[in-house]
Amino acid sequence: MKRKSHPLLGIHSVLMMIFIYVPILLIIIYSFNNTRLSGDWEGFTFDWYASLMTDDHVLEALMNSLTVGIVSTIVATLLGTVGALSLRGLGRRWKGSMNGLMYLPVIIPDIIMGLSLLVLFNQMHVPLGKATVIIAHITFSMSYVYVVVTARLAGMGKQLEEAASDLGATPWQTFRHVTWPQIFPGVISGALIAFTMSLDDFMVSFFVAGPSSTTLPIYIYGQVKRGISPEINALCTLLIVVSVVLILLAQFFLNRGKGQKKHKMLPI
Amino acid sequence: MKRKGIAGLVLAGALALVSVASLGGCSSSKETLHIYSWADNFDEQVLKDFESKFNVKVTYDNYANNEDLLAKIKAGGGGYDLIQPSDYMVRTMIENNLLEPLDKNNIPNFENIQESLKNPDFDPDNKYSIVYTSGVTGIAYNKKYVKDTIDSWEDLWDPKYKGKVLLLDDNREVIGMALKKQGHSNSSQDEGEIKSAVDDLKKLLPSVLAFDTDTIKQKMIQEEGWIGTVWSGDAAFIAKDNPDVEYVVPKEGGTIFSDNYAIPKGAEHKELAEKFINYMLDPQVSAKNYESIGYSDPNAKAMEFHSEEYRNNHMINLSEEELGRTEWLGDVKDTLQLYDRYWTELKSGR
Repeated sequence: MKRKSHPLLGIHSVLMMIFIYVPILLIIIYSFNNTRLSGDWEGFTFDWYASLMTDDHVLEALMNSLTVGIVSTIVATLLGTVGALSLRGLGRRWKGSMNGLMYLPVIIPDIIMGLSLLVLFNQMHVPLGKATVIIAHITFSMSYVYVVVTARLAGMGKQLEEAASDLGATPWQTFRHVTWPQIFPGVISGALIAFTMSLDDFMVSFFVAGPSSTTLPIYIYGQVKRGISPEINALCTLLIVVSVVLILLAQFFLNRGKGQKKHKMLPI
Repeated sequence: MKRKGIAGLVLAGALALVSVASLGGCSSSKETLHIYSWADNFDEQVLKDFESKFNVKVTYDNYANNEDLLAKIKAGGGGYDLIQPSDYMVRTMIENNLLEPLDKNNIPNFENIQESLKNPDFDPDNKYSIVYTSGVTGIAYNKKYVKDTIDSWEDLWDPKYKGKVLLLDDNREVIGMALKKQGHSNSSQDEGEIKSAVDDLKKLLPSVLAFDTDTIKQKMIQEEGWIGTVWSGDAAFIAKDNPDVEYVVPKEGGTIFSDNYAIPKGAEHKELAEKFINYMLDPQVSAKNYESIGYSDPNAKAMEFHSEEYRNNHMINLSEEELGRTEWLGDVKDTLQLYDRYWTELKSGR
């Protein structure tokens, strides 16, 4: 049954979309603008993208972001998935509080997370650098993976696994041939979200970064003070594109194997 | 149990990856100098030359403002060996015991610094800091629209420039400017003087196009603003893109500011940081560096190595006479609250 929505609701939606996307759209447009300073349009160019690719500092920041993103995603995906699997067996009461604890890093303001990690590292005399950034990123991305995989497990039920055991499969066989194929799309989409979060994170990274661990967002922030150059617009555009592609991929994997009966949005 | 065994194995592998990744940054056994500074603050080649000359490695990370720098250093240093705080931040950091005293024996080239930039108010005897670059807040104006001779802060109040005046978005800079205009110190702690300066600024309000620090350059280049309070370095940048823009240090004088070399407390490579400062103050290196980044070179001995174009740029090379009319922003202690209150009042148009 289709319900007609109130016309004001439509206007509201359009305004909201404009509010959210016009600034991003402007950045993308200006990244192709053939002038360094003016706000006017002076022709189309790829120059800023070209000069980005030859800038050592940008490339170094990019490499840092990728290293941190890939390593933290792998570890966070493992920990998050194992966590979701092992906490599945808990009783209702414990499950609620454990879920709450695992959700917390998603909800906690970044600034508190960053600051508390910084204090922790200082107390433990861990020198700040790539390692601390990676550990920090694992901390928050793990929760995203946990949330996605848990949702997947909940939607799956236990019947198939019980049936496999009844038919004589060992716990490992059950996991390998029954559980894993079913949660796999969830694991992948969790990993993609984790990677996106890592790539975009500024606040937490800013606190725990040390020498030669400048990630792209930190680099961009440092540049803005010098006046926003078209290279920065180009860099932002690339980050936006990568993030959007990853999120779309995550959506795709999450929807796949859901029997196409309903499209569920990511729980973020 | 087998399943656990495999999970453990993968986990161990992942942890190994983390450690490899984190070691990747410092895999070479060379001594490394960790610099924490503003973006694009050095010429790339000059840094590379330092690396090969001393057989060391340089890492260079950026911060966007002094407060971020302070937060990082205060929270435990972050492992940096060399930082570049601005004048007032050097004072704050000294007060908070966050800086190492510099060993001048390692920095003989300190002698090359021009006299007027040695021993600043915020760090007498240069115990903790050495100037890297400096500038003065003066008046930039566009000759196309501003035909009169500009030589006084008074000129901003000229009704001809209604709606075209740009002011920095900074309470100490702007109130300090109005204080200077009335013949007081830019760091007055006298409420009467501050109030009268702010009342004066209120009369200027109808003329003000914007309070802007970050994009004031663009506004001048695109001729949205005709006249305003602009840092000398920014003025040089503007004039490169819009040759109609002139710059002057008003006769009442202006506020001088600087970015400086300093070494955070507990820096691991203090001596190397001092060697770096000394290297940067070498006249030829210095000329190469400032030529490339386009800021003022405080190195008196470097002038002969600079290009004609650089030497003739009066916005980069302020005269001793102009510098003589300037004043550092002093510590106003508790009066800062007064500045904050009047600033809010001014900007909310009451």
